[in-house]
Amino acid sequence: MAHYKIMGQDPYWMNFYGLMILTLIEVLAVGADLAPVADSLGTEEKVVTLWILTIIAIPKFIMIAAIFMHLYGDEDSGILTMTALFPAFFILIMVLFVGLTHPDAPSSLPDWCRPGNYGL
Amino acid sequence: MSGDHHPSPWGPHDWRHGAPHNSWAPFILSLGVAIFLFTLAGAFKFGEFQGWGNVPLIFVGLGVIGFSLIVWWRQDMSFGVNGEVFEPKSAGTPFQNIDIRKVAMWMFLMSEMMVFTSLFSTYMRYRFGIPNCQTVFESGEWVEGTSVICFEPAGHLIASSWFHIAPGAINTFALIISSFTIVQALRYAKKKDIDEDVRRRKVTRYLGTTWFLAILFLTLKMIEWFLGFPLPEFLHEFNHGDSSIKSLYAEGYLINADSYQHHAYDTHYIEAHPNDYSIPEDSALYAMMEAGTHPGGHMMADIQVSATTFYVTTGTHGAHVLGGIVGLTYMTLKAAKGGYTPDNAVSIEYFGLYWHFVDLVWVLVFPFFYLY
Repeated sequence: MAHYKIMGQDPYWMNFYGLMILTLIEVLAVGADLAPVADSLGTEEKVVTLWILTIIAIPKFIMIAAIFMHLYGDEDSGILTMTALFPAFFILIMVLFVGLTHPDAPSSLPDWCRPGNYGL
Repeated sequence: MSGDHHPSPWGPHDWRHGAPHNSWAPFILSLGVAIFLFTLAGAFKFGEFQGWGNVPLIFVGLGVIGFSLIVWWRQDMSFGVNGEVFEPKSAGTPFQNIDIRKVAMWMFLMSEMMVFTSLFSTYMRYRFGIPNCQTVFESGEWVEGTSVICFEPAGHLIASSWFHIAPGAINTFALIISSFTIVQALRYAKKKDIDEDVRRRKVTRYLGTTWFLAILFLTLKMIEWFLGFPLPEFLHEFNHGDSSIKSLYAEGYLINADSYQHHAYDTHYIEAHPNDYSIPEDSALYAMMEAGTHPGGHMMADIQVSATTFYVTTGTHGAHVLGGIVGLTYMTLKAAKGGYTPDNAVSIEYFGLYWHFVDLVWVLVFPFFYLY
């Protein structure tokens, strides 16, 4: 159990309020008309929405893991955080080399990462 | 450890002699899973049922799995033999003196992370690799009556109105609240300075609420996937005049949908609903229709890949919620009988880790599969 406070308050209640507010912002962001923002940034509305959702998902993820799952503030938090992060390498490999690849990648990769560019 | 102690690989285990290191359960479990999967795969060929020949063996596989779990349960979960409570500690590096069950739960969650990473990377791969249906529609590179392969995100249907988004949004709040209620159950189970009856009632109430929210989650999932829901008359005008919110099934968003048609991809429907839809004036389709080189019509799409990634990922998550419901049912009944005390409250904590993980996955599934 947590032996600390957040802004002088119970950490679980504070975490709960924070998560609820972030989720509300998330849902509202999808309903909101972000076209003017997208136009001013020179991109599509979907891209702006994706960025907002990604930016909100990161603190939500950390808040649940750190406070509810006790990866912060407990005696064994350090080693268990390392354990939880252990698959990060695998996740990175999967996301980069499966999720973000494309069948045309060998022919459409930039020159600097094609075979032969460095005379090898 | 006393010299005359002979730990049994079948259980129950006497924890006063340390943690057990011998068990047949994993081998039996592997055998059961192998029998189950081989015979299940053999029962179908390209989706066609091949007859009842393999069915008895499927149940044999399930029986072997069940038997192995009972052996494992008897051996590893016998912490309370003769009224004594044992919480064995890990002895190996780097987890010395951390509860074995806690380490095991984190190891399990690591493997779960990899499962969901595989699903997410598959989704990303297809989402970025296959042209979006909206993009294909606006490009004008389609002919009515001929199916085009494109990626139709479920979010296109779900995020199309507040009513459609409601089940997923409520579920998001439900999971976050349930993460909080299970932490509260743990807090009261660990409290030493309260009356036993107060502890029993508080723990039962919080675990029961978590159970209810998990049931709510799956119920709303069924509504979203299969059932849909009717709207009161005064809300019809806010739902394009429709009297109900259609389920994904009713919308035709299916894993075998090779001729999917949505009204957003129908030029005649769009022209008839100028307040709701429009073809962007800078799109190729608009220019082609203005020039008379595209007759318009209703685009037909093969969306099998997009529907499959959606259902497999959200279905896997739903299966985890279902597993959680089984655990929560047992724990709530145990709590109602006063089964949790500060001595054994860690069981709630370890289940809580699993439940928070289910919530964590949803934190990513909801925005990227439902909203985007």
